[in-house]
Amino acid sequence: MKNLALEFADILVEIGTKYPEVVVLDADLPDSCKTEKFAKSFPKRVWDIGVAEQSLPTISAGLALIGKIPVYNSFAVFAVHRGVDMIRQSICYNNTNVKIIGHAAGVSMGYTGPSHHTIEDIALLRSMPGMCILQPSDAVELKQMMYAAIDHYGPVYLRLPRSTVPNHHGSDYEFKIGQPDVISEGTDISLFFTGDLYPKVLEILSGLKQRKISVQVVNLPTIKPIDVDSIIRLGNKTKAAVTLEDHNIMGGIGSMIAEIYAEHLQKPVKRMGINDTFTESADADLLRERYGLGNKAILQAINAVLKTNKLGL
Amino acid sequence: MFFDIQNINKGYAADVKRLLERGKPFQAIQSPKDLDLLNYLGLAAIDHRRMLLQLGQKHKIRLHYGACMSMVEIITILYLYWLNIDPEKPDWDGRDRFVLSKGHAVPSLYITLLQSGYVSDRDFEKYRTIDSIFQGHPDRNKTPGIDCSTGSLGQGFPVACGMAWALKKNGSSAKVYSLLSDGECNEGSVWEAALIAHNARLDNLISIIDYNKKSSYGSMKDRNAVSPLSQKWESFGWNVLRANGHDFEDLSRVLKQAHDTKGRPSIIICDTIKGKGIPLHTRQFVSSSSGLDESHYEEAIVYLNNLEKKINEESGTRIR
Repeated sequence: MKNLALEFADILVEIGTKYPEVVVLDADLPDSCKTEKFAKSFPKRVWDIGVAEQSLPTISAGLALIGKIPVYNSFAVFAVHRGVDMIRQSICYNNTNVKIIGHAAGVSMGYTGPSHHTIEDIALLRSMPGMCILQPSDAVELKQMMYAAIDHYGPVYLRLPRSTVPNHHGSDYEFKIGQPDVISEGTDISLFFTGDLYPKVLEILSGLKQRKISVQVVNLPTIKPIDVDSIIRLGNKTKAAVTLEDHNIMGGIGSMIAEIYAEHLQKPVKRMGINDTFTESADADLLRERYGLGNKAILQAINAVLKTNKLGL
Repeated sequence: MFFDIQNINKGYAADVKRLLERGKPFQAIQSPKDLDLLNYLGLAAIDHRRMLLQLGQKHKIRLHYGACMSMVEIITILYLYWLNIDPEKPDWDGRDRFVLSKGHAVPSLYITLLQSGYVSDRDFEKYRTIDSIFQGHPDRNKTPGIDCSTGSLGQGFPVACGMAWALKKNGSSAKVYSLLSDGECNEGSVWEAALIAHNARLDNLISIIDYNKKSSYGSMKDRNAVSPLSQKWESFGWNVLRANGHDFEDLSRVLKQAHDTKGRPSIIICDTIKGKGIPLHTRQFVSSSSGLDESHYEEAIVYLNNLEKKINEESGTRIR
């Protein structure tokens, strides 16, 4: 099992060694965002600007305009929502090389409650021209993703769930921005997910074992820019799709898949995630169970979407 | 030629360079020693205002005349005299940076870029239309000489703070200048960055406020006044300087002081007159969204012609 936040801390130090232009910004949360190790290794390359989250995007844009590669950190809900206009104008429109790390994204910081849950970030950033959105499903992917984010010129948002997950990728895994990651092949249904939900996917698969439903499992480590042709190719292999994400079902990967399916495949899609509501304070797993990502609800969705498909054809 | 201006082909920046041959960089201008230079900058400012008027008239557009006219001397002294820049090499690493935080006044910046040699007269044939290098607000990816895209108020200034921090880390001696409006100081992001810049001791950051006491829809005091402005910045720990924003001698004096200040950032609060150069604008408040009709345009041209005549009479014909 790997804690993604702790892995992030180590990889960031490694990146700091290899890329002298990388600087790290915080808004009074170096402990929660696990940037302390970087600060210890490179004390002159960190800037904690205090509780001033809307200044993270603008100040980072300034650093980038002089040639630095700023990596700014806060809870996802503040790293993104607080400065949406700043991200749009000073980072995206300016086309600056800023890396945004959204920590404890989704409802993964369960107990802190809806004020600290991040269920709109993908929707907010997906519509911004030039923005690249990435989310790891395990530590193997996170490491490659962080290097890819630094090597990619332009704005990158790395959505990091506060989560401890097993590595499901082997050492031969190759992450490439834009490419979906096909975990298993199948012919009935495509199950698209993003983030730390693979353990849940395994539970769903075991729930389907007796049912003889053939599932194609696709991890989406890149949310934007997505290779549309790959999604079409994968979509052609199955009859319908179900999407899973720790995000509002509006504007996230469910919307993205639905858009591609509507334009190119005309096959049914069921989006599973937080169903356009603020949740409450609780353990993250309980919240997912209660608010749209319960195993039973997902299994029902799979059945329903396959039925729709039969009727439709 | 797009602009009907006598001096445009000669190049204002080259003229200033010639006038400066006797002086050192980063020196305050003093009359009578520097009378030629002062007169020259005065004439450049008159041409600047004429070109603003012609730009609006030829393209039949409204271009935030008030906000542009109030900053003419500030931007003129920066680009033609003060900034360490090279129009031949707009991306030169060692250059001073300039961020127009009050991005809506970009027509004035475009005219200055023309006077300094970054863009050409011909570029103005196309303005705010498909394939023009001139956008409605500053775009660093489209216009040579622009260091930062702005337009959403309260953002250019914090970006300038970031630039200053990075330049310091790089050991660069370059400075970062940014120009804000007083209305922009209604944005909370300005004060957030003011605090951050002070705590980071960014003495290579020099910010200028075009303090014309009016925002888009009227007088600041009728909505969300920022006075007393000096005290606010002082309490934020900044080196506060004050100048007449239409007086080159005064501007150069405070620029010199800001340039030489160590340990903290400087703010230059420039008292200005919104719409200066357009008699209509100084008689009554004119909203940002208003254009200029023919009679008021003509009135402004006559006013500027007389001003030019006066400067030329005072300085003989040495300048032109």
